[in-house]
Amino acid sequence: MTAEPHILVIDDEPQILRALRTILREQRFHVTTASTGEEGLTLAAANPPDVVILDLSLPKMDGIDVCARLREWSQAPIIVLSVRDRENDKVLALDRGADDYLTKPFGIEELLARIRVALRHAALAHGSKTERVVSGPVTIDLVSHIVTREGAEVKLTGTEFRLLGYLAANAGRVLTHRMILTHVWGPEYADHTEYLRVYVRQLRKKLEPDADEPQILLTEPGIGYRLVATG
Amino acid sequence: MRRPTTPSKSYLLHPLVALVAIGAATAVLAWLRGSLTTATVAILYLLPVGLSTALWGLGPGVVAAVAAFLALNFFFIEPYYTLTVHHTQDLLVLIVFLIVAGVLNQLVGRAQLGQALATANEREATRLYELSAGLAALNDEDSILRLLGEQALRALEADQVEVQRAGARDGEGRWRLPEGPSPKEGPPDAVAPVQSSKGRLGEIRLWRAAGPLTEAQARLLRTYAGQGALALDRARLREAETRAKVSEESDRLKSALLSSVSHELRSPLATIKAAVTSLSHEEVSWNSEARRDLLAAVEEETDHLNRLVGNLLDMSRIEAGALKPDRKWNALREIVEGVVRRMGAAFADHRLEVDVPDELPLVAVDYLQMDQVFTNLLSNCLKYAPPGTAVAVRAHPLADGWLDVEVTNQGPPVPAEHIERIFDKFYRVTNAERVTGTGLGLSICRGIIEAHGGRIWAENRPGGFAFRFRLPTTFEGHLPPAPLEAEAE
Repeated sequence: MTAEPHILVIDDEPQILRALRTILREQRFHVTTASTGEEGLTLAAANPPDVVILDLSLPKMDGIDVCARLREWSQAPIIVLSVRDRENDKVLALDRGADDYLTKPFGIEELLARIRVALRHAALAHGSKTERVVSGPVTIDLVSHIVTREGAEVKLTGTEFRLLGYLAANAGRVLTHRMILTHVWGPEYADHTEYLRVYVRQLRKKLEPDADEPQILLTEPGIGYRLVATG
Repeated sequence: MRRPTTPSKSYLLHPLVALVAIGAATAVLAWLRGSLTTATVAILYLLPVGLSTALWGLGPGVVAAVAAFLALNFFFIEPYYTLTVHHTQDLLVLIVFLIVAGVLNQLVGRAQLGQALATANEREATRLYELSAGLAALNDEDSILRLLGEQALRALEADQVEVQRAGARDGEGRWRLPEGPSPKEGPPDAVAPVQSSKGRLGEIRLWRAAGPLTEAQARLLRTYAGQGALALDRARLREAETRAKVSEESDRLKSALLSSVSHELRSPLATIKAAVTSLSHEEVSWNSEARRDLLAAVEEETDHLNRLVGNLLDMSRIEAGALKPDRKWNALREIVEGVVRRMGAAFADHRLEVDVPDELPLVAVDYLQMDQVFTNLLSNCLKYAPPGTAVAVRAHPLADGWLDVEVTNQGPPVPAEHIERIFDKFYRVTNAERVTGTGLGLSICRGIIEAHGGRIWAENRPGGFAFRFRLPTTFEGHLPPAPLEAEAE
């Protein structure tokens, strides 16, 4: 990427806007800010951002609506910010097309890490389709359906591979239970989180160095799972 | 209870039977006429007359006496088969017979009436006792009125009873008993107001095919209404008292909250303010270690504030009954592992033992809320455990449909007078100034566990202290889904 990545921050708290503007500019990002959903959508249309940071509790137009409206025409990664008493909105926003979330208050390193993942993901989505995802000792080849761990092939069942493949193709992103269940098992299984849990446990046993201390397939408590890509 | 015979039938039947008895006596006596004197016959006739009164009451007794008098005159006093009397002696026999039969009837009849009255009084007393015992156990107006209706229906042999609360809107505060598809039409046969010194509280209306109430029954109905009014008064009084107590309690809690919160919120704010103003002080140049220390303090205190605010929010949601767990089938082990991972640094000075088997059945819980329960219980255990000792989490299923979970430490025991109350809001065993926390963590745990249909308590163990809770293994009547195994492909 040649120019400074453009980050649009939509939040109605002037103090947060001020802090994020200062910190992100320091990190060599081009930052624009909006304090309402409508203003954010207008700014995004005028000058398409590379990443959107979106607060869910906005006056008038709700963050979830902004998320859905933005997704109608933009593929820019959206990182939603939420406070703890609106946990369920987070899942809703992810289901409506948000890519990641952070709970307020958050540490700035965490936000910067999420922005980097989002930018990488956006860059990959623009280029050729991801074929290989590497996460620690595990390599997942999405074309040949071959998974190796430290060079040795790991035997996976069909469902296991569909699950791992989906997570790998979206490496770094949080996928909600509902998204994964709908994609891997079908819409009628959207509420059967127990399926997911069993299969994730099996995958961890096959892939993780220590299934009790997962490094590859991370649980996002109450939300979903995320596959960590390292290369 | 004896089934009361219908009066209309016995009115006809009993005098008839009395007549038959006299007839039978006449037949036997007529057969023996040659060997009996008139006086003996008269005495023997007293037998069926007395029996008739004793068995069937005064009316049949009088019928029997008259019949016996006529039969005595007709069949046994010369000239036979006429009602004329020739001998003075026979006349005397007849007169004495009539007097004796009359007195006998009176005596037996009165005794019986007295008996019947006593029985009725006793029954009335029993019913009143039943009513007041039933009413004493009730505290809400609806059940009181309903019970009143049920009892009146039974005691007064009514076909239908309707009880209505005064001032109730259409469709409520009104009970028709027995509940059936075909209500009686027309005006009720009896109405009694439920009236207390504070005014009219309701009304009992009664329909019965057996006709209007007797004086005794009307009295009973009025007594019922009076008892009902007393019970209603008492219920209203108690309700007002409870309301007053609740508002007093919530005032007390509010002031406890204010004092606790202002103290708890101010101290981290003071640290943050001090650290930040020091750092932005232009005349002092901090070395990098001092800077790091100050910044670490700011970070720790903001986390602390965040936890406090979160706790307050949760508490207010529990209070408002808005804590609706989003229950899904979860693996407890996963939740515990998540908490342990996140709290990692806090266990630096302690040994952590986790015994939550992988094979444990899934349990229907809200992931984030259970995460919070374990976080709060573990941090509480850590707070009071001496360094170097073990803190443990264990879970195992019980045979009777519960999952038993315990979080223990090897810390000092909690005195018995505190152990019941540590889950109460703002309750603290130790002096508030010495240990941080709002006194909300454990009461949030209790709120969450109870919202899951479970139970939480604390107990002292030999060499330690334990929080224990139980969660139901079934959810909405379903057993946990069986763990799937990988399909064979």
